[in-house]
Amino acid sequence: MHLGLWSSIAIVFGFSIVVIALDEYVAKPWRQRRWQARAESGDKEAQELLKVARSAKVYDE
Amino acid sequence: MALDYDVPEDKRALYWLGDQLIEWRNPVMVVVLIVTGLFAYWTFQLRLVTSFGDLLPQSHEFVKIHNKYSGTFGGANNIVVMYSVKDGTIFTKEHLTDIFKMTEGMDTVYGVNHNQIESIGHRTVRHLKVAAGGTLRAEPVMLRAPQSQDEVDEIRRIVHNAENVYGLIVSLDDKSALIRANFIEGRLDYRRIFDDVNSKVIEPFEGPNVEIYAAGEPRLYGWVYKYAGDVFFILVVTYCIEWVLRWLYFHDWRGSLRPTLTGIIAAFWGLGFVHLIGLALDPLMLVMPFLITARAVSHAIQMHDRYYEEFEKSGWHKRRAIVAAFAELFVPTFSGITTDAFGVLVIILVPVIMLQKLAITASWWILAITISEMLLNPIVYYYLKPPEPEFVVLRERGAFRKWIESFTHVLLSPAGKTGTLVFWAALTLVGVFFMRGLTIGDPTSASPLLFDDSFYNVSHSKIQDSFGGVEPLIVVTEGYDKDAMKDPQVLRTMEKFQRTLERDKDIGYSFSLADIIRAVNRVFHELEPKWAVIPDSWTDIGGLFFIFFSGSPPTETAKYVDPSYTTAHVTFFAKNHQGDNIRRIIQRCKNFIAENPMEKASFKLAGGLIGVLAAANEELVRNDLLMNFLGFFTIWVILLFTYRSFVCGIYILGPLIASNILVNAYMAVNNIGVNIHTLPLVTVGVGFGVDYGLYIISRIIEEIQVKGDLDDAVREALVTSGKAVTFTAVTMIVSTAFWITSNIRFNAEMGLLLAIWMGVSYVGSQTLLPVLVAVFKPKFIMREALTKAPKPAVAAARQA
Repeated sequence: MHLGLWSSIAIVFGFSIVVIALDEYVAKPWRQRRWQARAESGDKEAQELLKVARSAKVYDE
Repeated sequence: MALDYDVPEDKRALYWLGDQLIEWRNPVMVVVLIVTGLFAYWTFQLRLVTSFGDLLPQSHEFVKIHNKYSGTFGGANNIVVMYSVKDGTIFTKEHLTDIFKMTEGMDTVYGVNHNQIESIGHRTVRHLKVAAGGTLRAEPVMLRAPQSQDEVDEIRRIVHNAENVYGLIVSLDDKSALIRANFIEGRLDYRRIFDDVNSKVIEPFEGPNVEIYAAGEPRLYGWVYKYAGDVFFILVVTYCIEWVLRWLYFHDWRGSLRPTLTGIIAAFWGLGFVHLIGLALDPLMLVMPFLITARAVSHAIQMHDRYYEEFEKSGWHKRRAIVAAFAELFVPTFSGITTDAFGVLVIILVPVIMLQKLAITASWWILAITISEMLLNPIVYYYLKPPEPEFVVLRERGAFRKWIESFTHVLLSPAGKTGTLVFWAALTLVGVFFMRGLTIGDPTSASPLLFDDSFYNVSHSKIQDSFGGVEPLIVVTEGYDKDAMKDPQVLRTMEKFQRTLERDKDIGYSFSLADIIRAVNRVFHELEPKWAVIPDSWTDIGGLFFIFFSGSPPTETAKYVDPSYTTAHVTFFAKNHQGDNIRRIIQRCKNFIAENPMEKASFKLAGGLIGVLAAANEELVRNDLLMNFLGFFTIWVILLFTYRSFVCGIYILGPLIASNILVNAYMAVNNIGVNIHTLPLVTVGVGFGVDYGLYIISRIIEEIQVKGDLDDAVREALVTSGKAVTFTAVTMIVSTAFWITSNIRFNAEMGLLLAIWMGVSYVGSQTLLPVLVAVFKPKFIMREALTKAPKPAVAAARQA
């Protein structure tokens, strides 16, 4: 398959945007829901993870 | 914000530097973006060009001779087109008309040397004709396309009686004819020549009973340009694969984006610099930019992984985590970049312009990673939102981490250590055994740039099958004075030279001035075979030459002998350019020249494709070991200063030397020769391998300073830095191996070899290196034990 310079740039740029959007709006909420469900069903690791996440105070400066 | 928290005293300056970069982020970012913008502009001006002269070792005696005479006697830039008929012979009105028109088409191809076309349809291919009154004239074999069957029959009669035609440009079975054209070296536009030959010489004449094949260096590079478009496809696919892999590893899009930014900025700096210093991008070296960018990405992955680790350790403090990651990885990253850059720079010692250009541009490019990775890193992280804590924790507790922990446990057990040492010793011995078969030069008769079943290589072998040899070796006969080429001893020695070398199984046929004089003498004596000899006196010889050349302009005769009869040539047509065969043929030439001195002239080696390849192979033999030694030595010196230890280099380079042996063994077993294209492989591969080792060793030192126990330090290094190294190696190997889909065999093989190189050196850095350190307890590591207390921030975070 032959691609040119500009079509290649467009593909990788578009692909990156899609991955970022999927991660932010699909994968992360799904993963959070999954860990929440596991924690509610008694999974120790999931409970610990959520504990760390909820207690963590992020210093963003 | 100042450094108002505890930091390791020995790295305070680095912590301060990281902090200041964040403090001055806006001006630094603006300057870097402006410079990157300029380099980006220059990058888009870059052209894809291959210069044949750049592939030759210009200081070699053979190449000097080649350069001096290629304009007159023909060079290495020949295109050979074979017109072949399936049924019948070429001696029909239709086929001869095709050949005549194809020859006319070839004469209009861009860059062709109009006086160096050989075809029965070209004015320079002549035969002797006895005219009324007993005079002799040298006339072109075909003055026009044949108009009748009588003219066809006459052409056949001429061809069958002309020694310079029958068997040389018309096959002995009358089924094929050659059109051989030489191209002017300064006007080699491979893409244009490729398209011109297709549209003017090949496509209009193809038919159900006709097969047309084309070979020769300009044609080969034309195919390389045609396939170069694959590179974009490969780059796009590898980019997407790497993004997905990084996303899976970091559980966060920032982990995919951040290394990409490093790679893109470094690529702009590197490619822009290539244009800035007046160079172009070689399609055969396209795999190199990819590998250097991959290296930038590899450093960025290490940094990103460390940032996440420090983010958790610092109690979710973004700025402190950024500064700590910068300071703690400064030494291995900077050493890695420096060893890579100076390691590649040793290629400059090979007197081949293309490799010297590669050395300069690759070194600069790698050094540019310092800007994109080290200088910008803290700033970019500062601009990005910090990752969510749960994903950082998740990353640390995933299956990948557990797998690395289990592996490390087995590796550092007593049985694991012994097994590792025995395994590597055995593997290295096997490698040494097989690498003895490594060939210098091309190991096959086909072009190593393309696959055996490519249309080019199929054409090449079809032409070889029909004509026995098409790759010229030009030996120049340089006279000491004018008319030296009329001397009987000189001509007889040239003839003897031909007969001697023709006994070699890989020489198809040969041609020299002696053949012309014998043919003319025979024609002059009513075609009696006994007169096909070289006359005894130079006056007779001069007379015969006058007869033959009198009807031709000097531009046509110059391809046989210069106008003052001082210099001529003997051209041998070899059947292939395999490295071993070239070496043997050149040695036979040298032996003959030593045993057959001439009074009035001497033979000078060597022009043509075989001559220049012989020169390149001789330089490769001379430089291969030197480059290996200097590549490793440069890295050892940098490691000496980085870790203040003489033995540190041995520990890090040991696994790399073993990797080098194994890759050489692979090349020998798979018939891949060391040539101008594979020569830089070692220095590039070593660069990747040394990075892995540096991250592991630096982390071992860092851990032993706090833990005091060597085994614990090694274990921690393997599950932290080793984990990132493992991930980096996997992504690099997968994306590099994807190059095997390239239609350019060279790129495919380089990709495969480098993937193997990275794989073997990665396994070495994760198994042999830590085991060597754990078993032999080197002083440069042990002296660091318990020199530091745990970082308060880290301790607090862990307690929490």
